[in-house]
Amino acid sequence: MTALGELALWIALPISVWGLTLAFIGGKTDRGDLVLSAERSVYVVFFLLILTSLGIINAFLTDSFQYWYVASYSSRELETYYKFSGLWAGQRGSLVFWALLLALFSSVAVFQNRRKNREFMPYVTGVLLTILAFFFVVLLFAEVNPFERLPFVPADGQGLNPQLQNYWMTMHPPTLYLGFTAFAIPFAFAMSALITGRLDTRWIVLTRRWILVSWFFLTNGIVFGMRWAYEELGWGGYWFWDPVENASLLPWLTATAFLHSIMIQENRGMLKVWNMSLVILTFLLTVFATFLTRSGLIESVHSFAENTTIAFIFLAFMGGVLGVGILLIVWRLPHLRSENHIQSFLSREASFLLNNLILLGAAFAVLWGTLFPLITEGFTGEQISVGPPFFNAVNLPIGLVLLALVGIGPVIAWRKASRRNLTRNFALPIALGLGVLVGFLIAGVREGMALVTFAVSAFVTTIIVVEFWKGTRARARIEGEGYLKAITHLVSRNRRRWGGYIVHVGVVVVFTAFAGAAFDVEVRQTMDPGESVSITSPYGHTYDLTYQGLSTSRSQHMWQWVALMTVQRNGESAGALTTEKRHYLVNQQQATEVGIRSTPLEDLYVILAGLEDMQGAADNDPDSQRATFRFLVNPLVGWIWYGGLIISIGTLIALWPGRPATRSVTRDAAVAAGSGSPAGGPTPRPTQAEVG
Amino acid sequence: MKKNSRFYIGLVGVALVVTYLIWTGVSDAMVYYLTPQELLARVSTDPSLHEVGLKVSGRVVPGSYQPAREDEPHRFVVSDLENSEVTFPVVYEDLLPDTFTDEVEVVLEGRYGPDGVFEAVTVLTKCGSRYEATPEELST
Repeated sequence: MTALGELALWIALPISVWGLTLAFIGGKTDRGDLVLSAERSVYVVFFLLILTSLGIINAFLTDSFQYWYVASYSSRELETYYKFSGLWAGQRGSLVFWALLLALFSSVAVFQNRRKNREFMPYVTGVLLTILAFFFVVLLFAEVNPFERLPFVPADGQGLNPQLQNYWMTMHPPTLYLGFTAFAIPFAFAMSALITGRLDTRWIVLTRRWILVSWFFLTNGIVFGMRWAYEELGWGGYWFWDPVENASLLPWLTATAFLHSIMIQENRGMLKVWNMSLVILTFLLTVFATFLTRSGLIESVHSFAENTTIAFIFLAFMGGVLGVGILLIVWRLPHLRSENHIQSFLSREASFLLNNLILLGAAFAVLWGTLFPLITEGFTGEQISVGPPFFNAVNLPIGLVLLALVGIGPVIAWRKASRRNLTRNFALPIALGLGVLVGFLIAGVREGMALVTFAVSAFVTTIIVVEFWKGTRARARIEGEGYLKAITHLVSRNRRRWGGYIVHVGVVVVFTAFAGAAFDVEVRQTMDPGESVSITSPYGHTYDLTYQGLSTSRSQHMWQWVALMTVQRNGESAGALTTEKRHYLVNQQQATEVGIRSTPLEDLYVILAGLEDMQGAADNDPDSQRATFRFLVNPLVGWIWYGGLIISIGTLIALWPGRPATRSVTRDAAVAAGSGSPAGGPTPRPTQAEVG
Repeated sequence: MKKNSRFYIGLVGVALVVTYLIWTGVSDAMVYYLTPQELLARVSTDPSLHEVGLKVSGRVVPGSYQPAREDEPHRFVVSDLENSEVTFPVVYEDLLPDTFTDEVEVVLEGRYGPDGVFEAVTVLTKCGSRYEATPEELST
């Protein structure tokens, strides 16, 4: 089985090269039979990659430690569940996994379009097979072959790093990779549009769902990663501006910009070059993220060993994509002219454009900070790095402007907003935002950034609630429906628009939760059993935690030192928490498990930071239980996960397949309707006129 | 060109703001990233290096680690990765990461005092060893 997987990997390369050659020749010479053959090779490559993946999984399940990759990431004792995740636990497997997902999505795209949109398909197929072929070259020739054998057979493997043995960590990489690879489809359609010259909005319409699918997985992948860092890394935070974290954020930022800018092209025929550039840039950043995570180019908390061959191949590929992309855009420049231009800064176009520029600015700042050590080394010969303070200083103001635009963008009028449009839409939200600001000031809150975040959040929330209210009320009145039915119909009739609003609600929730970090409380205390510590939450109540003692045990896999804490909130019992140190026998590594008591208001987070005498404690010596703890009260953290869930639900609503909108007619209608046209979707709101 | 002038004004405006944020952010947050060898060589000619934040990567000298006690900080000695002759002592108040051992590769952030002791604010263990084990070690 494993040998078959290895064979399949070797066959996949020539098949994909053959397929891409046929695809491009077939497209150029208009020969449908060649294109069909190329499309079939996509399915074949997908099948071969399934075999390769099964081969790797089989090697893990059968403890085949003669393979370097298995020996490095598994051990006999590892739970079966984690052996499956061996496919993406390390660099080599995850490159196969990347290719597998790409082949899956490519097959779906080819199958979906087997009878329609044939004019795009030759080059779509060709581009996708080119990307696949690139990954096969990497896997086979860049010293990262997952089937590389060791000169001997070790008795046992190194075991999976204990910090990777966490539910969220098994979810995080695959989710992120689904997001990365799904974006290859819009990229392939964009390239095909450039090559064939079909540069109307067709390629955008065809790939809009793919963009949302990609964005859905990217968002979830990032949130899962934050959740993992929060639960497993044990320092109480969820984001460290680590190069690898930044790498996953970069394509998210540009994909978000792209999602919004295509609406401008669909509605106003503008930003065509911009959209082409964004799709290429985002695709490059997905490759860059894979590369950065898996090459160890930049010092990082979790990057991998350095390998110059892979760095060279990746950089050559990215350079090639960039070069070809720019050439194609320049070649097609005459066909990418704007049909309109911006008439006023107070218009939806302008606010969407500002949103785009800001997202790109944020992406540039993050990229700059991430690559700063490399840049300075190139110029001055020494590495100068910037840490979290840099990223926070740059991205906090950017994020707040972006948050405000989340409210403004969807309701400000197209072309040029009238005074009436502005007052009608923004008077109440501004008043409520200021009210929140004043309210918190009176309550004694003095954290500047948090205050602004709360105020802007209130402003945006009001706008969205009012939009929902207006829509529901109008529908209830016109259709004579009850409010619950009216709001359901409202959302289901224009899912893109209202799903988008729900996403925005989630974004507001997440930003508010971020602001909670300004109020974090931290206490460090060394304690003997029976001693207590008192912590005052920013909400004013008090936690009393009593260290009850340490229990030590040895299992087959590890030593465990578990500290028990009882919690009292304002003097009343509020349960218990445990936090522990582990020592894994297979790789002699230590790990900390934190205790978290999560409520909607705040998390109480306890870390067993250090034991005075681990050996004594292991011998159950009652005098060796002295331990140092770190206690954190993290307000609002839970809302990051809830907000992420709301974003996911909104995205699913927006991308759920349904009857296609009658596009051409409504677009004209939308343009004709001027300021009254819809935010996201091409279908105008029939109720708009009545609402005012 | 003219009809798109608003677009370009916006573009330049945002670019300027972002550049300003990056510029101030970098100058406030930048730290030199040096090897112990570079650090000792540079500090002998340029004492102002004692005043700025530094990031230094090296290896903990086996046997040099003294755990923190009561009011005493953690103490250990770090050597250059390539030249183990080059060393300097480190003190560190906070909690060490789980993966810290007596011989691990570390990245320190902090200040190199005029007394020749590095006062670390953060200690990161390098993850080459954390996530990528070497099975070659298993053969022994």
